[in-house]
Amino acid sequence: MASRKRTGKLAFKASDLLFLLPGLLVYTIFLSYPALSSFYYSMTDWNGLSPELSFIGLDNFRRLWADDAFWRTLRNTLAFALGLVVFLNLIAFLAALALDGNGRIRKTLRVLFLIPTLLSGLSIGYMWSYMYSPIFGVINSALDAVGLGALKQDWLGDPKLALPSVIFAHMWQWTGFHMIIFLGALQSVSKELLEAAEIDGAGPWKRLLNVTVPQVRPAFTVSVILATIGGLKVFDTIMIMTQGGPGGATDSLSTLLYRMAFNFNDMGYASAIGLVMLAFIMLISYAQLRVLRAGGE
Amino acid sequence: MTAKGWIGGVRLVFLAIWSVVVLVPLWMLLSIAFKTPSEFLENPFGLPASIRLDNFVSSWTQASLGLALGNSLLVTAISLAALVLFGSAAAYALARGSSRIHRALYAYFLLGLMVPFQIAMIPLYKVFRTFELINKIPGGALAYVAVTIPFVVFLFFEFVRALPADLEEAASIDGCGRVRAFALIVFPLLKPVTATVVITNCISIWNDFMVPLLFLQKSSVRTIPIAIYSFTGEYNNQWPLIFAGVVISSLPMVIAFLLLQKQFIKGMVSGAVKG
Repeated sequence: MASRKRTGKLAFKASDLLFLLPGLLVYTIFLSYPALSSFYYSMTDWNGLSPELSFIGLDNFRRLWADDAFWRTLRNTLAFALGLVVFLNLIAFLAALALDGNGRIRKTLRVLFLIPTLLSGLSIGYMWSYMYSPIFGVINSALDAVGLGALKQDWLGDPKLALPSVIFAHMWQWTGFHMIIFLGALQSVSKELLEAAEIDGAGPWKRLLNVTVPQVRPAFTVSVILATIGGLKVFDTIMIMTQGGPGGATDSLSTLLYRMAFNFNDMGYASAIGLVMLAFIMLISYAQLRVLRAGGE
Repeated sequence: MTAKGWIGGVRLVFLAIWSVVVLVPLWMLLSIAFKTPSEFLENPFGLPASIRLDNFVSSWTQASLGLALGNSLLVTAISLAALVLFGSAAAYALARGSSRIHRALYAYFLLGLMVPFQIAMIPLYKVFRTFELINKIPGGALAYVAVTIPFVVFLFFEFVRALPADLEEAASIDGCGRVRAFALIVFPLLKPVTATVVITNCISIWNDFMVPLLFLQKSSVRTIPIAIYSFTGEYNNQWPLIFAGVVISSLPMVIAFLLLQKQFIKGMVSGAVKG
């Protein structure tokens, strides 16, 4: 068989088509064609209902540029993604470090920490709307109960607090998932290297920074990129908890896009917002890959 | 204090705090779902006075959760079956050839990894109207298959690449057709990836809110998230009722996870790390 190694070109056979066709068709008709055509729609005034539309060039993008609501949602979205990336990775990595290894309690806690990830964004939205609620909410009641009533807040109603509150709820949902990404990586950290470092007199802190962290770097890359993309696309949590309010304080690109497209029938404008989102997702994931890879291998 | 003792202490404090943060909302969700409205107002924190299923019964009937559960099951099952079938077949053909066409088509699939659904969803709405797929269960499934197939092809491709081709080649020399060789020899070997694909996508499709919000709005085709969403609109702030619905909607995934922990965790890890 050695003579037929991958050096020769294995030609495209007719039977390949049979294997490929179903997947290719669904993917092309329902994802790549629509994604590509949104470039065209972003330059039209299509309202989503009428068969008629006219080509308006870059007008939608000029409108975006001048639209305060757009800049606000862009700021919110970037803040959401940044907040998520920092806190999600920090807590998830700490949890993974603390729960690495065997033992009943660690295993139980791992399972417990993963449960929020299995719930829908919708469920998380309702749970935390309740937690934050100024009248019935547990957070305020708990503050009252321990004599810290002065710290009570209208968590989702105060424009300053609403965005961090929503970020926290989203983070609560996904920490377990990112924790297991890190746990998977920690399992492959070489025990010999750790022991060798210990024999050489490296303390736990040094071992963490110089042995463990470099070896789990690929997991950080994955985790940071997933958190960023998740943050840039965030939809369910915000739709359920605040619908973008108060006063647009939690409006994200996704919720603005949805509202423009399906409440205001402004599909052309919404397509333009979608393209901005795509540009950010591509740009940021590319930059992160470059930065994180450059530091690693 | 020694460095080890100090670190152990920090670890314990961290775990204690985060356990409380994770547990309290889950506890509130569960306990409030069992409480009567007056009990909820008087005693939001404690145990419910008795295990009453009233809230579950009302939300089950008023949100037609039985129907929604069936719809969710159907959409998820159709999507997963199509993803596994189409994805593994396509990846197999792509991984076993090395012509320019193979490489170009693989690159074409990989491009889809970057496309967020939000970009495609507006024109997709028009495509769905053309094919009359709006408010049809297979329509929802097609949307999931299209968005997810790039990742599924990627996962299967890597795995097939690592499999030696000898077995299928021997079978084909013995006169076994390619489709049969794939179905009988290759596909069974793909089990670990198939499990990853099924587990990761099962969670995300079951829990998805956006596709049904756009394409499965009619009450007869509603999936669980939309059923709960429409239902809560009418029962604003009736937390016991809302939470009962949320508990019902979350139960299938949580039970499946508790039964199949190992597979779930393995599937999620390999799905994430390879992504």
